[in-house]
Amino acid sequence: MSEVKPKRRFGVKRWIILALVGLGAYCAFFGPSILKPITPQVSLAAENTGLHIGSFQITNTMLATLLADVILILMALGVFRFIKSGKLVPSGFYNMFEAIVEFMWNSVEGTAGKWAKRIYPIVATIFLLIFVANMVKLVPGFETIGQIEESFSGKGYAPVKLFQVGSLEVYTIDKGQPVNLTTSTAEASITYAETSSAEGEAMCTSCDVVGFLRGSATDLNFTFALAIIAVVLTQAYGTWALGPGYFSKFLPFKKLIYGGVFGLIDFVVGILEIVLEFAKILSFGFRLFGNVFAGALLLSIIGILVAVVVPAGLYLFELFFGVIQAYVFFLLATVFISGATIGHHGEEQH
Amino acid sequence: MNDPVAFVSAMKLLGAGIAMLGAIGAGIGVGLAASGGVQAMGRNPDAAGIIQTNMILGMAFAEAVAIYALAVALIIIFVG
Repeated sequence: MSEVKPKRRFGVKRWIILALVGLGAYCAFFGPSILKPITPQVSLAAENTGLHIGSFQITNTMLATLLADVILILMALGVFRFIKSGKLVPSGFYNMFEAIVEFMWNSVEGTAGKWAKRIYPIVATIFLLIFVANMVKLVPGFETIGQIEESFSGKGYAPVKLFQVGSLEVYTIDKGQPVNLTTSTAEASITYAETSSAEGEAMCTSCDVVGFLRGSATDLNFTFALAIIAVVLTQAYGTWALGPGYFSKFLPFKKLIYGGVFGLIDFVVGILEIVLEFAKILSFGFRLFGNVFAGALLLSIIGILVAVVVPAGLYLFELFFGVIQAYVFFLLATVFISGATIGHHGEEQH
Repeated sequence: MNDPVAFVSAMKLLGAGIAMLGAIGAGIGVGLAASGGVQAMGRNPDAAGIIQTNMILGMAFAEAVAIYALAVALIIIFVG
């Protein structure tokens, strides 16, 4: 029928991708044992990187947060330069940034109304920080490039030297040489260990990779810091909007004195409100931490079971969840803060 | 029973599994929220934006329970 016969296309990219998948499958199943996936060591607390300021140890999640900060600042500078340039129609990256900012502004304005202008900077900062931290976490090598250390659980793998650049010796850990009999498999981890052989530091025997970087939100300190900031700011905005009357929500003495029995009930409810504020901190902190940590755990465990194809789908899933969690944190913070500025009903009516 | 260390670690894993039972309720809750949200959006597509916002909020609250369960399970396994 149609005169124009669809030209058969031989795209290049699909073959490259297919070849990479094949290479991955080969490495994971038939390749030399140093390329095979190894069982990751999971630690709830962030690991020390060995860097320290005074006696203050810098953990790998702090470094990752700093990286996210740097990226955010670069983004901000880029956008600032774009705005200075006077062009009105953004393109490429700036277009995306404008879409994000507009989306956030619409959400905040829809929730907070006339207070949106004052609330927006805080919650938008939180959103961007969590968003960038969750995205940057998914870059390959983020948790797998690091120092090799003695495995804390006693199960580990023998180190194998790959090559040497100057005084920097690069090791990987060999899945084929499990120390202390681990039976399973996991992600191939290449390790860049800055061993100080000159200092005579003993090489580990059963080794484990401790990444230089680890997703910021897999550290409870990060999520709880944000949660505490959000909840404290809720109180601050409430006081800003309603004055000292804001605290009558928590300790309604007036109602207790003049309200009779119902005043007593209101007083007890007020105490429950105080508990609720602390519960907000817990739920904020654990929600973000739980989602991101479980995601990272899922990725590494699926990496052991099915080394090819499936982790790619889960990566997509993690990409989605990173955005959703940032949005949820942002939305809840917006709702709580704007709720505090409105104040509770009853005070004006009675 | 002859190896107390193995017994304790087995019980830890069991406990973590039981702790995750809390996810059942959260799953039902998130499903209900999504179903209600989609129905509402189908009936009134103009209000999709605000429905979506509130749906995600409700899902986040429902999901929090599962996340608490998960945190408990993770702490049972990896801490102490």
